[in-house]
Amino acid sequence: MPEGPGELGLKLVARMESLTWERHGEMALANARRNRGAIARGRSLAELRGAALGEGDSAIVVAAGPSVRRRDPIRAIRDSGFRGALVVTESALAYCLRNGVVPHLAVSLDPHATRIVRWFGDPRLTAESISADDYFGRQDMDEAFANELKANREILSLLGRHGRDIRIALASSASEAVVERVLEAGMGVYWWNPMLDDPDAPGSVTRELQRMNGLPCVNAGGNVGTACWMMAGEVLGKAHVAVTGMDFSYYDGTPYRNTQYYNEAVALVGEERLDSVYVRLFNPHLGAWFYTDPAYYWYRQAFLELAVDSAVRTYNCTEGGILFGTGVEVVPLKEFLARRAPGGHL
Amino acid sequence: MSSYLKGNFKTEKEVRPPETKKEADDLESRFERAALKRLGGSIAFVAKKKVKWTLDDKG
Repeated sequence: MPEGPGELGLKLVARMESLTWERHGEMALANARRNRGAIARGRSLAELRGAALGEGDSAIVVAAGPSVRRRDPIRAIRDSGFRGALVVTESALAYCLRNGVVPHLAVSLDPHATRIVRWFGDPRLTAESISADDYFGRQDMDEAFANELKANREILSLLGRHGRDIRIALASSASEAVVERVLEAGMGVYWWNPMLDDPDAPGSVTRELQRMNGLPCVNAGGNVGTACWMMAGEVLGKAHVAVTGMDFSYYDGTPYRNTQYYNEAVALVGEERLDSVYVRLFNPHLGAWFYTDPAYYWYRQAFLELAVDSAVRTYNCTEGGILFGTGVEVVPLKEFLARRAPGGHL
Repeated sequence: MSSYLKGNFKTEKEVRPPETKKEADDLESRFERAALKRLGGSIAFVAKKKVKWTLDDKG
C-alpha cells in the first residue's frame, strides 16, 4: 500500500545518518587525505578558539535558505550597525558581499566535487557544465543566480576584491576545486575536521582523521548552517547567537521542482508519489505552513538536539521555515538587533 | 526449462531466458539504494558531541 503524504519522508529521516555516510562519507575521507598538503597553507581552527571576532558576546549566522530573498536579513543587519560577529555559510557569502558586508568568518564543509565551488565563483564554469547540472538553476534561492554565468563572473570579481579580508573555517572534507579557489582568492583558511562518526567510539574514522592531520573535530550537525552556529558558539565562544536564512524547509506553494532534492525524490518514487517524500509542518510563530524533505527535516532535528545541550542562547531570526522548539527562541531579527545594539538588553 | 529442451537447430538471434522476478527485484532494490543514497545530507551529525580539540579531549 503506498505511503500517505510525508510518510516515506519520515521513514527516511530515521535512516539519514547512514544515507549521509553513503552519499558523502567516503568522499569526505578521500578529500581529507588529499587536503593534507594544503593544510600547511592555512592554520588550525584551534587558533580561532575564543578569538575576538566582532565586538561583544553576540553573533549572527547568515545562511542561504529561501527566506533570504524574502526577508533580506543582511540589509537589516547592516543598517542596524550591529558590531557582533557575522558568521556565514559559503552559500551566503556572495549575498553579503553584494550588499557591502564583509563577514568575519565564512564556513564550508560539503565534499561535493563540483557544486560547492560555485559559491566562491568557479573559474572553470562553462555553459556546457551548467546545462549538465540544474542544481542551481532549479532552486528557490538567491535570485542573482538566475543567470548562472553572469552570477559566476560577479562572484569571481567579489572574491577577487574581498577574498583577502575574509577568514574561512574550511573543513578538511572540502573538494579540490573549493580548496584551490579559496587559496587562489587569498582567504585566510582555518582548517577543521567534520565529525564523521563518534570520535570517542572504538574504530572511529573521525579519530583516525584527527590522528592523521591533528585538526580539531567539530560536530557540524549535518549541514553548513548548523556548522556556522557551532563556530559562533563553541569556537568563537559567543553567548548569544542568532540565525537567519536557516529555513530547513520551503515555503508552502513552492513547486517541488524548485527544491534541492527534487531529482533524487523523483528517481526514488516517481513524480506521482512525491507527496509521500515531503513533510508539511505548521510554524505556530508565523502562523504559516512550510514543507521539507528528509535531509532538511533531519538537519532540523539535529539542530534542536544540539541547541538543547548548548550553553549558548540561540535565537531563530529567520522569520520563515521550521526551526522552532525547546532551546531556540524565535524572535524577529529587528528585535534581536535592537536588544544587541549598544545599550540594548537581552 | 532450457535443461530439458534442446533444439537441433540454431536460431538466427540469441534467445535469452526471460528476466526472473528475483532479478527484477534485485534490479529494483539496487536502483532504490542508489536513489536513496543521493537523498543523504551534506555531512554527518553525531549525537551528544560538540568539538574535540585534541585526541585526548572528550569532544
